[in-house]
Amino acid sequence: MAHSTAYTFGFAAAVCVFCSTLVAGAATSLSDLQKVNRIRDTRGAILGALQVEGELRGEAIDRAWDERVRLVFYTPEGTPVTDAAAADLSGDGALTEADAELARQKVKGTDAPPPLLPVYQRLDEGSVGAMAIPVYGKGLWGPVSAYIALAPDLSQVIGTTFFAPKETPGLGAEIQEPAFEDAWKGKQVFDGGEPKAIAVTKPGTASGPYEVDGISGATITCRGVDAMIAEGIENHYAAVLAALRP
Amino acid sequence: MSSPATEIAPAAAPAIAFGKKEKATLLDPFLDNNPITVQVLGICSALAVTVQFQRALVMAAAVTVVVAGSNVVISMLRNYIPSSIRIIVQLSVVASLVIVVDQVLQAYLYDVSKQLSVFVGLIITNCIIMGRAEAFAMANPPWQSFLDGLGNGLGYGVILLAVAFFREVLGSGTLMGFSVIPAAAYSVGYVNMGLMVLAPGAFIVLGLLVWAQRAWTGYTEA
Repeated sequence: MAHSTAYTFGFAAAVCVFCSTLVAGAATSLSDLQKVNRIRDTRGAILGALQVEGELRGEAIDRAWDERVRLVFYTPEGTPVTDAAAADLSGDGALTEADAELARQKVKGTDAPPPLLPVYQRLDEGSVGAMAIPVYGKGLWGPVSAYIALAPDLSQVIGTTFFAPKETPGLGAEIQEPAFEDAWKGKQVFDGGEPKAIAVTKPGTASGPYEVDGISGATITCRGVDAMIAEGIENHYAAVLAALRP
Repeated sequence: MSSPATEIAPAAAPAIAFGKKEKATLLDPFLDNNPITVQVLGICSALAVTVQFQRALVMAAAVTVVVAGSNVVISMLRNYIPSSIRIIVQLSVVASLVIVVDQVLQAYLYDVSKQLSVFVGLIITNCIIMGRAEAFAMANPPWQSFLDGLGNGLGYGVILLAVAFFREVLGSGTLMGFSVIPAAAYSVGYVNMGLMVLAPGAFIVLGLLVWAQRAWTGYTEA
């Protein structure tokens, strides 16, 4: 069946409108549920890095979060932010996780630290049992990020959670596997009085408290992780870590 | 040019019937014309998502929904689609459905959608879906096309689940995340087969399945 050129163009336009409506409709109507899931996913990751135990799924994540985690903000100079309303970026009157996100968005593409640096504290019956800092970097195909949880005296790493949503499954995405995440436990972030980053080395060559084995076949991703940790610990969070150290 | 002889189903046939022909349309893809073991399509995803049974289950359901849905939509449009742009129209329909499925998974099965990651998006490029749209839905009415899509999706799913069953049980000693190998077996020296977790394990299981099926049905490459 031959159709006129005008018909073909008209048909193509109709298909475009139909498909866009379908896709846009699905995305908009489901976005609230997806947002809840994403927030829970992030919270679950932080709870995991902080070694909060228990079945962490669905609403249990929100309960554990409310009970066990306190979010504190610091300036890049290392002083805690006391005037929450003044520093509030999302404008809802209190510093929240949304502000942590916004603070980072503000400085995308520069080396400068964000104006607010979040620190997630695990509360063990009122006292701080561990703290986690977020770090952000570039992998091979897209962003990578991690939460690094430290002992309360900052003597060592107690847990990590890595995100590599765009990295190749089986290669770069392996940084999200427990084998890689657990390799960071016990590593140190201070050398003398100075914050010192943990380096990601060639696979099988790591030794000592400041090195972690990379993953073979994931060289670029591991370089990105190395740079991300260096920026987080030695640049953005250097003053905060120094101030928090007992 | 526009002769009604291009219509395959007789105009008098009821729109929704379930006779011998429909039964064959639905069931053939399970065995005699299985998209994976006979047509050898969709191998990439059959390797990628079969490490765990649950992932394979979700992938099978997602592919079934997409192939059945796209077959129906394309079949309804088949007399209006200009043949010069038919492939891109099919692709648009398939891509839209895949995005909708991805959005639904992100809303209701977030963990699974994270595990499946890029593979949900890659359903678009699964040859089975475009193959059925071009080979069947363009020439048959919606109901038959729906059955064809359902059959092919489920035929694909059955093989996926069979591969995933062997890979998860042998490779991790679990099924749907639950331990199925008794602890006593490990204490007398049983070890999980690491090969099964890796891609070559999928090739081996799939190869054995193809062999078993062809030995049973007597199918040979022409």
